[in-house]
Amino acid sequence: MTTGRKPVLSMREAVERHVPDGQEVFIGGFAFSDPMAFAHELIRQRRQKLFVMKTSGGVLVDQLVGAGCVDRLLSCHVWNSVGPVPAHCFRRALEAGGTGGLQLEEMSYGAFTTSLMAGACDFPFMPTTPVAGTGHFKHRSLRADKFAAIRDPFTERSVCVVPPLKPALGVFHVQRADCYGNSQLFGPVGEMRWAVAACRKVIVIAEELVDTDVIRERPECTIAPGFMVDAIVVEPWSAHPTDAYGCYLRDLEHSQLYGEMSRTTQGFERYVDEWILGTQDHRAFIAKLGQQRLAALSARRERTV
Amino acid sequence: MTSASAFEKFLFTGASMIERDQVVFVGFHWPMLMSRIARRLFAPDLVVVYENGIVEDRLTPIFPTSPCDLVAAENSPACLGSVDALYLWLGAGRVGQTMLEAPIVDRYGNVNTTAVGPYDQPKVRLPGSGGGTELGSLGRGLLLVSASTNPRSYPDRVDYVTSPGYLSSRFDREAAGYKPDTGPQALVNPLGVFRFDKWGEMYASAVHEGVTPDQVRAAFSWPIRVQIEADALAAPDGEQLEVIRQEIKHARERAYVLPQEA
Repeated sequence: MTTGRKPVLSMREAVERHVPDGQEVFIGGFAFSDPMAFAHELIRQRRQKLFVMKTSGGVLVDQLVGAGCVDRLLSCHVWNSVGPVPAHCFRRALEAGGTGGLQLEEMSYGAFTTSLMAGACDFPFMPTTPVAGTGHFKHRSLRADKFAAIRDPFTERSVCVVPPLKPALGVFHVQRADCYGNSQLFGPVGEMRWAVAACRKVIVIAEELVDTDVIRERPECTIAPGFMVDAIVVEPWSAHPTDAYGCYLRDLEHSQLYGEMSRTTQGFERYVDEWILGTQDHRAFIAKLGQQRLAALSARRERTV
Repeated sequence: MTSASAFEKFLFTGASMIERDQVVFVGFHWPMLMSRIARRLFAPDLVVVYENGIVEDRLTPIFPTSPCDLVAAENSPACLGSVDALYLWLGAGRVGQTMLEAPIVDRYGNVNTTAVGPYDQPKVRLPGSGGGTELGSLGRGLLLVSASTNPRSYPDRVDYVTSPGYLSSRFDREAAGYKPDTGPQALVNPLGVFRFDKWGEMYASAVHEGVTPDQVRAAFSWPIRVQIEADALAAPDGEQLEVIRQEIKHARERAYVLPQEA
């Protein structure tokens, strides 16, 4: 934990410095505020063998899996929630006769959240959702100790517990941050406060860098005080096509485009070539979307941000 | 106006089972459509909560494509987090009714949204649980909904229990330590309404007009008991059907993939 100014990095620098091949990384967002621009940069830099942890996998995880960046994944679900349609790369990597190459560990959203809470609080374990008899309790791959059933010392009843989860690195999308790393997330926060605090190193990806005086106007929206943040990336529209509350709406058209193209491996590769490798950075990706689309998605208002 | 399709009746029945003035935990997909229809037809004061921590106490002008589509958060009375939704509200019993889509559900109400076939080499890989495990584990007044009438959606036993129903029996669920008043209360599908007997086994308890016991049996992979306890389920009247069709149209405009007949 350090105080003072935090380094402001470009997305390229952040990935170069903090995400080598094989890195364990928790990625924030829950089908909103998914840091897609970060995932795209991982694909551009052709990262491999990452251990990705993300509660709601979504299109972000699907793209990383399809691009061969991930060999281990901890998640509570992976799909394209517009439609909904399947996360096709994820399916191809796991189904019999598919492409393989992915080790998956699953926990429900609540169990994942409580495991992060235990990590965040530095507790030895936390009670969690009862899961006796479920597939999650029986099937274990990457985390053999993801659940245990213990005796409640007060009632003698059996209780499901989870161990602390402390990801080596966390990358979170936020609406705004200041130069000290004070970071604000607006709207629902899902598990984000717990997840930030559970991670041993934190990078925030902010829509904008603001003066501390702006942060002070809404201190209740700070999900991470600056001393919990190690580096800052400033990247407008970095959660597109997911939504960023008070900034922009979910891009249904683009989610549908991805859902359609990713149906086949060839189609997915065309998407990557055209939208990710074909754009050298996120600014170029956004330019490719075009002003008209951005204007239609914009949800900026004085009231919120 | 043409008469209601099986899908429209399914939405209507699901919506009509939502209790007035209730706090309802609404899972993804058809439960969201049903809760909108319920708010317009039966339960204007309904309070809906979603797994990310959003409280929705009015008809949102724009239909959210999923609970995480933040048009659901606009003008919401509370936007909190997953611990609030899953434990402070659902687990602690502040939610009176819970709605979960059950695309594959077995004889004892166990829901699979994870994998069909062997877990390590699945024939079909599904998305996984999200918060669905919590709804099955912790939810009071759990209502399962499925738009399918295909026996593949209703195996004798699911290959993977994502959201626990009664496991192998009500006794089994209780012995496993789940709280009283949890576990599925009913399943709604386009044929009718199904309930769970004292052993925790599903049976057909009410069907739509014109649905025969043989049609019901043909939709399930086990010999399901048909024990119709009342008249045919109500079909929507003209005005109600108009509302249902408006909401289906709205869903289509919001990129929902709808059954062909809709």
